[in-house]
Amino acid sequence: MFRLNLKIALRNLWRNRGITSINVGGLAIALAAFILVILYFTYETSFDKTNPNYNNIYVVGRIEPDFKTNYTSPPFAKAIKQHLPEVENAGITKRGFFEFSMKNGKNTLFAKNFMQADYNAAKILDLKPTGGLEKPPGNVERLSYLSKENMRALFPDKTDNKPEIVGMGASNSGITSKINGSITNNLHSNITFDGISIGNEIGKGENYGYNNYTTYIQVKPGTDVANLEQKITDLYRKELLKGETDQKTIAEIKGVSTFLDPLANLHLRPKAGNDAPYKILIALSILGILILVIACINFTNLSIAQATKRAKEVGIKKVMGAYRFQLTAQFLVEIFIQCFVATILGLTLAELSLPYFNNLFQVNLSIWTTENDLCWQLPLILCVITLIAGTYPALVLSGFKPALVLKGNFSTSKQSSWLRNGLLVFQFSIAVIFIIGLFIINSQLKYMRSEDLGFTANQVVYIKNISMFNKPETFAPVRDKILKIPGIKSATVATDIPDGAEGGANGYTFEGVKSSLDFIDVDFDYFETLDIKLKEGRFFSKSFPADTTNGAVVNESTVAKYGMKNPVGKTIRGCNIDYKIVGVVKDFKAQGFESAVKPTIYSIKNPCGNYKTQIMVKIEGNKMSSALAALKAQWLQINPKDGEDFRYEFLDDLYGKLFKKQEQLQSVFFGAALLTIFIAVLGLFAFAKYITNGRIKEIAVRKILGASDIQIFSLINSSFFIMVLIANVISWPLAYVITKRWLETFAYRIDLPILPFISSALITILLTVITVSIQARKAVKANPVDALKYE
Amino acid sequence: MIKIENLEKVYKTEEVETTALNGINLHVAAGEFVSIMGPSGCGKSTLLNVMGLLDKPESGSYKFIDTELLTLNDRERSNFRKKNMGFVFQNFNLIDELTVFENIELPLIYNKIPAAERKQLVNEIIERMNIVNRSGHFPQQLSGGQQQRVAVARALVTKPKLVLADEPTGNLDSSHGNEVMELLCELNETGTTIVMVTHSSHDASFSNRIINLKDGHVISEKINKSRNEELI
Ligand SMILES: Nc1ncnc2c1ncn2[C@@H]1O[C@H](COP(=O)(O)OP(=O)(O)O)[C@@H](O)[C@H]1O
Ligand SMILES: [Mg+2]
Repeated sequence: MFRLNLKIALRNLWRNRGITSINVGGLAIALAAFILVILYFTYETSFDKTNPNYNNIYVVGRIEPDFKTNYTSPPFAKAIKQHLPEVENAGITKRGFFEFSMKNGKNTLFAKNFMQADYNAAKILDLKPTGGLEKPPGNVERLSYLSKENMRALFPDKTDNKPEIVGMGASNSGITSKINGSITNNLHSNITFDGISIGNEIGKGENYGYNNYTTYIQVKPGTDVANLEQKITDLYRKELLKGETDQKTIAEIKGVSTFLDPLANLHLRPKAGNDAPYKILIALSILGILILVIACINFTNLSIAQATKRAKEVGIKKVMGAYRFQLTAQFLVEIFIQCFVATILGLTLAELSLPYFNNLFQVNLSIWTTENDLCWQLPLILCVITLIAGTYPALVLSGFKPALVLKGNFSTSKQSSWLRNGLLVFQFSIAVIFIIGLFIINSQLKYMRSEDLGFTANQVVYIKNISMFNKPETFAPVRDKILKIPGIKSATVATDIPDGAEGGANGYTFEGVKSSLDFIDVDFDYFETLDIKLKEGRFFSKSFPADTTNGAVVNESTVAKYGMKNPVGKTIRGCNIDYKIVGVVKDFKAQGFESAVKPTIYSIKNPCGNYKTQIMVKIEGNKMSSALAALKAQWLQINPKDGEDFRYEFLDDLYGKLFKKQEQLQSVFFGAALLTIFIAVLGLFAFAKYITNGRIKEIAVRKILGASDIQIFSLINSSFFIMVLIANVISWPLAYVITKRWLETFAYRIDLPILPFISSALITILLTVITVSIQARKAVKANPVDALKYE
Repeated sequence: MIKIENLEKVYKTEEVETTALNGINLHVAAGEFVSIMGPSGCGKSTLLNVMGLLDKPESGSYKFIDTELLTLNDRERSNFRKKNMGFVFQNFNLIDELTVFENIELPLIYNKIPAAERKQLVNEIIERMNIVNRSGHFPQQLSGGQQQRVAVARALVTKPKLVLADEPTGNLDSSHGNEVMELLCELNETGTTIVMVTHSSHDASFSNRIINLKDGHVISEKINKSRNEELI
């Protein structure tokens, strides 16, 4: 029986090979998209999962009144381990805060993140130096490792695992360091590094103020985490309160608490951080599922549309005594076979498009590894789509009453047309939402690219450097030498560059009002280099020596925050300095478009500030390459302390990275919109073909009775036209809500435009009319006499 | 063999109720060849469908060698049908995707006959029907008469006790029609009971008994003397 059923199925598929390939092809494309999404989902949700204690590891973070952070201080981990028996182990790490060079002869390596970890943290985080994790011999001594890739870069010919000596920083610095071996840098982990040094104890002597470390704890299995969290908060307060007498400080300490963040959360939605990657992942998964559902709907739709052709077969088989479930099973197997072929095709397509996907999402996914769980996910998906796509048609087909279908004039078109139409409307609704979404994302991105940032990142070169230039006198000679190079207009140094990075924040008092302000410490020519606009007063100037001791410039937001009137010349107090406001600058979008410009104070002197190391120079566009070449050649003379390796980046590139996420979203939406439309149109194409085939006789009769071609075209198109219109009407409010919410994530955004809504309607209607008319043409052009001859 | 009493069948659609069968009483003896005649729409096909268990009547009784068939569930009806009945339709109703051989083989498969035996049975009947050189063809490649022979072959291959034929010659010209009628007669002579719906008195003349329906009633019954004498 199976053999005969298979024959019927194959011959049927072959006879309708046009529709079959559309059906299987559409499903394959959707599956390819879905497979990519699954790969990505699995990858993103399995960071650090290879850690044997994955489920028992937590980061201990702090909750201050106005922020949450993962940065904690060295003594805390020790206290936790000492006082809390449910904590099996506790350790700390510290990331490298600046980039430096390492050398072996001619080979140079720039280590952005040379981490430190204590032995406990290394154990908790399952760090794997080649040859195994070793306990450092003493309390002072460190064991330093380079990632395998970096080790190979510095010592290309090294085959053993013996320690090596490397030069640190500029070759004239004379500093060398011992590297004990190489270590696996697992990119699929939250803890990545260029190199790491492991000591028995790090941060020795640093007390509770030094919040530069990350504390990891490993709890005993079955620990009540909420309870532990409370205990750790109590412990933290107790530790901070030791020796405190000042009532105000004591009150402040009572306001801080701690939290435990599971290792599993760290990559996608850390408690101290944003969960945008998680949201993108969820959005992407929903997209993937939707596309697959649409393809399944196509399948269902077409299978039912073709049902008439199979009705006779069902009737005859029943007459011969077939049970209904046999027929149901037969159709399910048939659909399973098609889904199976689609899966194989989908896998191939996914493999082909993986490089583009990897590039877009900056990952390195592969289908052919055992790690990604596809080996059980795919068969499961295959069964699920078979059930989604096949159950309904199988039940409809197997339910035909033989007495009815064998009469010869049986038609299914009435029976399930509401369902088929409903499914078609659903497909198009989703396509419309994607089209509208795509248009609106495009508009917002275009706005972000063309909108005035308030500063000019163009032709500003950011030069990497680790020498500190906190005093203007130390930077002056550097600036002088830089400015001698033709084409360089200005040079400055600051604590931060406007690439979206958050600066520090501190309390400032203005006319009795205390409030928190972001601060950025700058040097002369900062505003000029970035072409920031002055609103009132003046920029910092060498003609006013007091600027270097207590001059301050504030931005418009600061003025607004304090409600300052005529701020220039007035005093604002912070970090025990009475700053004199010398100027007000217009707000500029240093943080991108998502958050509003922060109230910020700029000063040259700030004892509470950070190191001024970020050099920026403005270069004339047409002299860019020569100026860069000259800088490179002279850098060792210009900046002897850190020279030798001249490395730079263009500020507009750095700033452009802020748009990366939105650009990813744009690409994803572009792909999704294209896919859904493509699949929906495929479905429509086959559906229209079926409908017109079923109406050939009717069309012939109408033509004989005198209908014109146009009348027949509009007759066939009208029902599809109405369905697409309904789809648009349904999806507009949905698209409105979704896009509005997305736009609201931007502090600076476009007004929701109407055009995308109209365009999506026009696009879908046009596509529908074209698709349907191509099919209708055949029926219209056919000779009516031929059409009536059959039967 | 068949005892039908007070059979009623009503079709309800949104607008109208049609009483297709209105108290039918009918007996068919084993080995009989019965024709059912009547104007279009009088309920002939409905009656045949009920007899073939393809449709359920509202009320009445239908006994087949002492088994009441109307109380059976779907599964039991299927089983009964495939063991005891064969069908021939006006529009042949062959499966287009299967060859002649496969079409004839199909009912044997549903009766769970082993493959070797199936092959033998199908070949036998193909020979008897004179369609040996057509066994690999698909239905569309055959003439109407040939298609109906295949359909008859398919109805016979399971050696059913009862063959139900709904206007078997309706779509055929007279010479092809006669061929089919002769086949049915041969079949009847080997002991198979046949109930046939027809419009043609010529075809009806092949049967033992002619039943006339009108508006869902049996209005007259006529023994076909010529044929019966021939038999004796
Ligand atoms: N599926 C159905 N739904 C509604 N009415 C039906 C159906 N099938 C048959 N009928 C009606 O029942 C009556 C008998 O039909 P049928 O048995 O097919 O007549 P015929 O004697 O021509 O074979 C007719 O009036 C027909 O219109
Ligand atoms: Mg009839």
